Amino acid sequence: MTEAIEYLQFVLAPQMLNGLTIGVAVVLVALGLSIIFGLLDVVNMAHGEFYALGAFVSMSLYGLGVSFWLALVLVPLIVLPIGYLIERGLIQRVYQHDQRHVLTLLLTVGLSIIMEDAFHLIYGPNTMRPENPLPGSTEILGVIVPNYRLFLLAVGAATIVATWLVIYRTRLGAMIRAAAFDKHMTASLGVPVLRVYAGTFAFGVALAGFAGVLLAPIYSVFPTMGHDFVLLAFTAVIVGGIGSFYGAVIAGLLLAQIQAISSLYISPHWSDPLLFAIMVAVLVVRPQGLFNWMGRS
Amino acid sequence: MSAPAAILEVEKLKVSFGGLKAVNDVSFSVRRGSVTSVIGPNGAGKSTLFNLICGAIAPDGGRVRLNGNDVTGWPPNRIARAGLARSFQITNLFFDLTVEENLRLAAQALEPGGKLLQPKRRSERANAKVRELLERFELSHKARELAGYLSHGEQRRLEIAVALAGEPELLLLDEPTQGMSHGDTADTSRMIRELARDITILLIEHDIELVMGLSHWVVVMHQGQKLSEGPPEQVRADPAVRRAYLGEA
Amino acid sequence: MRPANPAVSAAAPARARRRLGVRHLAVAFPVLSLVFAGIGAALGETFYLRLATEALILAGLAISVDILLGYTGLLSLGQALYFGLGAYTAAFLLGQGAVGFWGALLASLALATPVALLAGLVAIRSKGVYFILITFGLAQVAAKAVYNTRELGGSDGLVGVPVLQADFGLFRVDLGSPVAFFLLMLALIMGLYAGLNYLMHTPFGRTLVAIRSNEHRVRFLGFDPWRYKLAAYVVAANVAALCGALYPMLRGFVSPELLYFKMSADAVITVILGGVGTLIGPIYGSVALVGLRTVLGSWTEHYHMIIGALFMLAVIFMPRGFAGLFDRSEGDPAQDEGEGT
Repeated sequence: MTEAIEYLQFVLAPQMLNGLTIGVAVVLVALGLSIIFGLLDVVNMAHGEFYALGAFVSMSLYGLGVSFWLALVLVPLIVLPIGYLIERGLIQRVYQHDQRHVLTLLLTVGLSIIMEDAFHLIYGPNTMRPENPLPGSTEILGVIVPNYRLFLLAVGAATIVATWLVIYRTRLGAMIRAAAFDKHMTASLGVPVLRVYAGTFAFGVALAGFAGVLLAPIYSVFPTMGHDFVLLAFTAVIVGGIGSFYGAVIAGLLLAQIQAISSLYISPHWSDPLLFAIMVAVLVVRPQGLFNWMGRS
Repeated sequence: MSAPAAILEVEKLKVSFGGLKAVNDVSFSVRRGSVTSVIGPNGAGKSTLFNLICGAIAPDGGRVRLNGNDVTGWPPNRIARAGLARSFQITNLFFDLTVEENLRLAAQALEPGGKLLQPKRRSERANAKVRELLERFELSHKARELAGYLSHGEQRRLEIAVALAGEPELLLLDEPTQGMSHGDTADTSRMIRELARDITILLIEHDIELVMGLSHWVVVMHQGQKLSEGPPEQVRADPAVRRAYLGEA
Repeated sequence: MRPANPAVSAAAPARARRRLGVRHLAVAFPVLSLVFAGIGAALGETFYLRLATEALILAGLAISVDILLGYTGLLSLGQALYFGLGAYTAAFLLGQGAVGFWGALLASLALATPVALLAGLVAIRSKGVYFILITFGLAQVAAKAVYNTRELGGSDGLVGVPVLQADFGLFRVDLGSPVAFFLLMLALIMGLYAGLNYLMHTPFGRTLVAIRSNEHRVRFLGFDPWRYKLAAYVVAANVAALCGALYPMLRGFVSPELLYFKMSADAVITVILGGVGTLIGPIYGSVALVGLRTVLGSWTEHYHMIIGALFMLAVIFMPRGFAGLFDRSEGDPAQDEGEGT
């Protein structure tokens, strides 16, 4: 019996907590992706690169002597206008076309290539790692938890809740949802649909960038970090259901947990194929994901 | 072994979407060699019925029998190979392919599978069929034209021609005169009468006069159910039918 | 009253124009290449000949993408999976000394087909964007798996692939000779082109095009789209694997980069820039990409940015010929529902 409790305390619980903290970050990225896909019908293949952008910008800020806490605030503020301009200036150019789904996807593919190479150009190929801003750990119910992870969990959860509030409880959110549902009707009601789209895109990628800052001290920063991480986010979006808020949250947390716990029993190299297999299984059994459009099951 | 008199039998067919019973317990049969029409007000479930018969959607209950074989739940391509073809109410052609190509694709079903990997010219039976249909439907001069560039009337003709290319035994025509001018409608009516000499036709139509003039048998649907059926004059005189159509143009 | 499909109006004139040019381009390519080879041989040149051979190998990957994209209407963002599969299979077996030229090619094909069948079974059931994401994911997962497998050389890949002799019975091709390898590759690519071009004009190929044009209607003509798409997918995989197998024979090594997204994305880019659905366009596109890479690469390490930018511009200003790639309404019975019939 004590063996079981010890196992729980020293092996399983810390790993589950890891899974939870990573899961929260995955949710942030997946939310952005799901919002952009569900509301704008744009498959943002460059989403991972925006996640990386957040991390890289934070590194630059640290180099300028900016503190981690300030960077947390500044990075999303920096990523927002970049996302807005890209959507407004480039992606919207193909909206009128009846094949816009493919075209926007291809555009974001091109964008991801440009961004990845830009990271290479500006920051070099080597891996960087910012210092842990919250070293040390706390003991909770006999489980030793690194402070930074606790912080990540708290901030991530708060951001998710804030995002939910914005989308479901504010006028802005109502406009976004209306514009997603029926562009023409919403436009005729006086809503600046194109600006709402650009803003939504900006918001989605800013979420990803924010996650990038948060995860940088854990996962390190390198030019191809976007590709690595985005597959997990895509999996969460697909499993949870494209455009579904709750789907992204539940699937993101679930998948991160599976990844964390499975790494106890199988080599971590197999966790990617495992998650991919889960995504494929979901697509086969229930192609629309666990939840439907915007949370309706 | 002679073919059964009823080429198509629909038995207690039903399907629901959400809470709506689009087709509810519909039964009737189509006699070989006849022209049978399905009529009814908007929302009666006629197109859904067609979708059930040709395999586009699977029923929640009931059976569909083609030539005595139970084809309920079969995928559309299998039912097509069994001798059933359909045309669509909203023109559903290969718009970015030529008229000739549209017909050739459909006619390929006449050839054995081995011909798939041989040059097109070797599929002689299919090619002959294409030539025949081009002439019959007066589309020879437009053979190399992309289907999307045809006039509406020409597209509707091509729609039917494509359905015929596979030499079906039973042809489902979904509002063939939809959007046509009066002249075109008369032409189409004549064409259907000619077709009926060789194959069985099941027709959805809004144009009551057309239906009355063409059909041997009429099935009336209303709100997903079969309201009445019989020879045209009988159906026309049926008070229940008149009530359902009250207010209809 | 249904107006002419807008996708036709945009694509048709371009496509009609292209059909004339395609035949000329298809003939011009081997001619130009032979001239190039002649000059190279005369000058005793090796670097550019080897570079051109690599371009031809990559052209195979591009053709593989075009079979799916340009004819069947499927966008695969993970074709590099099969290219890498072929490359690693060949490199591994050749490095062990287990096989020769033909053995390596056969082994790659033998592995590619079952993998493609399995992957296709899963991917092709999925519509539109899901197919794209699954192909993307498959390649990503495979790339990571290869990267983490020590037996396959891990992040360094496999080296030490010997220089081969390709035995054709009547004569032998020394793959160590740049001219010889180039000519072999040229013959192979033109052979693939000719064969696939023929295939795409048979009823089988025309059915693929029909699926791209209107998958929904194809069913009612008696065809099962799923079978055709799967067949196309397996064919495309084999083409990619075949050309991938030649890569280590040229370069002497393989690395996980061959499976990365960049590889798949580059192939898609060359197809789109070269001309979707022409087969010869992607060949020219690959040559152009390698050429661009070399030219730009001599100025800056970051040529990919420029290529990405060019690609984005192409997508924005030349968005033609993409009809049917992303049909979300395919197989939707409501499509033939009238105004409440």
